[in-house]
Amino acid sequence: MKPFNWQKELGREGHRLVFSGQPFAMHCHHYNINLQKMLEDALGSSGVEILYSAAEESGFHNFSFMLAQFTNIKTLKSKIEMASVIYQNCGLGIIHFQEIGPQGGRIVSPASHHVTGWLAKHGKRDTPGCHFLCGWIAGVMAAVFNHHTGFYHVNELSCKMMRCKECVFEVTVKNDD
Amino acid sequence: MTIDGQKIIHAVMEGSQIRESKGIIPLFGVYLSIFSTDYYNRLSFEFEKKMSLLNLKDKSQSLLVAAAQECGYATFQGIRNSWEWDEIVLPMIATPEDQIQGFTAVAVAFGWGDLNVRQLIPGKKLVVRVTDSYEAGGYPEQYGNATVGKCYMLRGVTGAFMDLIYGADYPDGCFTFLAQETHCRAKGNSYCEFAAQRSPDQSVT
Repeated sequence: MKPFNWQKELGREGHRLVFSGQPFAMHCHHYNINLQKMLEDALGSSGVEILYSAAEESGFHNFSFMLAQFTNIKTLKSKIEMASVIYQNCGLGIIHFQEIGPQGGRIVSPASHHVTGWLAKHGKRDTPGCHFLCGWIAGVMAAVFNHHTGFYHVNELSCKMMRCKECVFEVTVKNDD
Repeated sequence: MTIDGQKIIHAVMEGSQIRESKGIIPLFGVYLSIFSTDYYNRLSFEFEKKMSLLNLKDKSQSLLVAAAQECGYATFQGIRNSWEWDEIVLPMIATPEDQIQGFTAVAVAFGWGDLNVRQLIPGKKLVVRVTDSYEAGGYPEQYGNATVGKCYMLRGVTGAFMDLIYGADYPDGCFTFLAQETHCRAKGNSYCEFAAQRSPDQSVT
């Protein structure tokens, strides 16, 4: 049985950067926030949907792959712990899954790459802006509970980009499923 | 002096293990994140696709290149002013042109591809070749063969490298240079190649 040690999972295959064998790349807040601003400015809500969906699809595939690799990660507690560890160790921030179950739940993030990056580049927002994390949570939740992408909807209730104390996310099952 | 790319890769891999209390990776003067290349490809190519439906395909391509060039300009300015750069890369740099080699080595370390400087005419032109760009690799898997280059991130970054070395002092030199992708694996070439030259309105007389 393969134990999970994220430091061993992050490595190189020649010039490629890989995480558990999947191609990854390092990018800084300038690029991540530039992309977000470009999408929002050019397409508005459609741009937000692209960000959300890209994070959801990638998060789902990456995390499903990880769960298939680490078959000793079986319980809900250990799965969401692995998700938190991966998120933190990819430099994306800190997340706490709370009241999580098959019907959804609540997630709190006291700090994140995107919040720090957005505030550094653009200052306070008037609307929630953690679209990446919303999508990523939706993908990871779908992988954890063996659903397809699009099964869950994630809504950001409060956001540090708006100078709230922390980012709070509500996960629900999509009505149209 | 020859830039030791392996030494830079080693430093980036070591540094990327460090987290501050907010779960953020502060390295080479910037906040780094590590995420799947699939995410970045979906973001870029779905944006392009959506904009195409609005007859804004050309606009989407220039926005993607500009986003990357601004990023590359700010990012590598931060990188070359970092203590890691001073300690690891600076001792290998003898000329301004060596900085370009240092930048490409950092880009390789970041997992952006196997960047290789093919030609550098100081102040005028930079040609970078990449045989394994994740953008060029990812596009055909989802969308089939391309008719134009698809490596918007690397195209922007190639321009930014020249901006930083030969443009006006930071922060006034961004977009002094613009890069074209002359070859791209996504459209069937065996490699991707980027040529940065002065923007038409920035030409030296």
